[in-house]
Amino acid sequence: MALILECVIVMLLVISLFAVLGLVLVLMERKVAARMQIRLGPNRVGPKGMFQTAADTLKLMMKEGLTPDGADKFLFNLAPFVVMIAAMLIMAPIAFAKGFQIWDINIGVLYVSAVSSVSVIGILMAGWASNNKYSLLGAMRSGAQIVSYELSAGLSIISIVVLSGSLQVSDIIASQQTGWWLFRGHIPAIIAFVIFIIAVTAETNRAPFDLAEAESELTAGFHTEYSGMKFALFFLAEYINIFIVCAIGATLFLGGWMPLHMGHWEGFNHLMDYIPSSLWFLGKTFFLIFLIMWFRWTFPRLRVDQLLSLEWKYLLPISMFNLLLITLIAIMGWHF
Amino acid sequence: MNASQIIFYLISAFVLGTALLAVTTRKIFRSAIWLLFSLVGVAGLYFWMQVEFVAAVQIIVYVGGVVVLIIFSIFLTHHSGSELPKPPLKRTIFSILAVLLGFAFSYNLIAGYGFPTTTSEKPFVVPVSAIGEQMLDTKKYGFVLPFEVVSMLLLAAMIGCIVIAMRSIPKGKSIQKPATPISANGGTFKQVVESTKTMEEKTT
Amino acid sequence: MAFLKEYISEVYHAVSSLLKGMRTTGSYFVRPKEIITQQYPDNRADMKIPERFRGEVVMTHDENNEHACTGCTACELACPNATIKIVTKFDTTPEGKKKKALDTFVYHLELCTMCNLCVEACPTSAIKMAQTFEHSVYDRNQLLKKLNNPGSKLRAGVE
Repeated sequence: MALILECVIVMLLVISLFAVLGLVLVLMERKVAARMQIRLGPNRVGPKGMFQTAADTLKLMMKEGLTPDGADKFLFNLAPFVVMIAAMLIMAPIAFAKGFQIWDINIGVLYVSAVSSVSVIGILMAGWASNNKYSLLGAMRSGAQIVSYELSAGLSIISIVVLSGSLQVSDIIASQQTGWWLFRGHIPAIIAFVIFIIAVTAETNRAPFDLAEAESELTAGFHTEYSGMKFALFFLAEYINIFIVCAIGATLFLGGWMPLHMGHWEGFNHLMDYIPSSLWFLGKTFFLIFLIMWFRWTFPRLRVDQLLSLEWKYLLPISMFNLLLITLIAIMGWHF
Repeated sequence: MNASQIIFYLISAFVLGTALLAVTTRKIFRSAIWLLFSLVGVAGLYFWMQVEFVAAVQIIVYVGGVVVLIIFSIFLTHHSGSELPKPPLKRTIFSILAVLLGFAFSYNLIAGYGFPTTTSEKPFVVPVSAIGEQMLDTKKYGFVLPFEVVSMLLLAAMIGCIVIAMRSIPKGKSIQKPATPISANGGTFKQVVESTKTMEEKTT
Repeated sequence: MAFLKEYISEVYHAVSSLLKGMRTTGSYFVRPKEIITQQYPDNRADMKIPERFRGEVVMTHDENNEHACTGCTACELACPNATIKIVTKFDTTPEGKKKKALDTFVYHLELCTMCNLCVEACPTSAIKMAQTFEHSVYDRNQLLKKLNNPGSKLRAGVE
């Protein structure tokens, strides 16, 4: 009985987190975009446009969910849920604060990279079932992109696993008690971090890697035919995925909820411990989200051939070589 | 029957049902999707058995790799949206016979094993590091030989792929060099020039 | 070895150029004072319109109700879509000679594309572009304008 109650509480928490994240991240994206383009952004609904996304959500809920003629109706309706469920599943091993984790599975980061590859199935499904050439092209691009960028994302995750010696999320965080891996692992850790950020930007189909939805060429790519709440699910899943990959990045490279500790500065370390661990986690995650948004509003979109040559000619060889370096550092104990 | 058993039967029913749908549906894309669900169900079974590592590898390899490639090849074929013709009766009968034979064979094996009830008190927990050490173990029950053989096989497959994908240049023919790269998208252009250059060196 | 050197320099140049782009957008992000958006109906009183904004064609009159238009129709000829129509009359000079002068400067605002060609064509700088832009009216006839004030005449000395 207690187990069922626990399940219900966790479900409610995850769903409400999804709703809040969707509202906050979309507003943040629009505000950041506006500031970077010397604009004001949403400023009409509520104070400083705070309720803009709530109004948008209401609009999307009122809209008709259209299913196009000639579509594979079952798969068309299933696809947004597949994407959403995959996003929900990845949430499980993320540590939000000290001792606040849904499932501390012993293969944490492997589980994350496994489940994150499921969401591409939803995209492929949506693209095929829409019976639309734009959707099909978008889905194919997305498939090629995610399959290839998973490699370098995985390699940069492995380099941190090599340093910390565990796949479990709580162990990885505990290994950063004396300092974050980004600083302790010298330059190879920084290279791994940069490659990780590039690869996850591509995996979440964000600009400059948004070829799957490329507004100017494919109208909206794989979700061209979606409207109303089904579109909203895709839209929400995109932002949830950004949050998740940034949370993973913060956990691996920036120490999760671990406060910033500096060598032997006792006073400084004690001061940092006063800040709650959840704030540390959210602060790091939102910093990485801001970084990814910064990319989106600065860089132009890549072509397909440029996208693939970036991965196979640059990121993959560099991250393989980098992994060797990190292994050397870990074996010789050269990290701090 | 306790909750654990109920979950086991539910997952098994899901795996079998989706597997059956995968072979009986007449749309090839749906068939791939049912296969996907079946494989996810198998991964769920592994999670139920608490062998998380195998479950995660099952998802990475089969769902993230194999099914995505199957779907990709379906996308690239013509008429992937139209329904397949009904299979002839002879084929149906023979496939049912093959299935029955396979079922009887594996049932015979499983029934022969007998499954003695083990009463091991300690929980079945395999750390990932133990799996890794077993993989590279050279002593008894070590898997270093199969591991290395498989890696050689994969290396051979990779080299084969590269050889197939590489543009072969007929001998004795001079390669037409592309015009001087334009600065606007010179990045990729230059590489093309370079690769032809290296190939030229190889052939001569 | 040369290949490796080129490879590394390529990566270096790519990263440095991307960082340059990020510095530009990042500097805009931290300086909200540079935001150029104007919240139009709210800031109607203290709106800043750039000097080169083209709202409509007007004719400048000085305090003696005199303009500089000689009625040469250069603007009418320059106009690409017949927005301007100039009606001329003949004045008699004190010497008793007849002289062409402007009677009515007809301006169809509804046809104007604000291309500025008439202003450039005018030899005496009689017309210019104004910054007004709230032109919406309920009747199309109100957009037909006479640019010279009633009773105005040519400024002395302008040929």
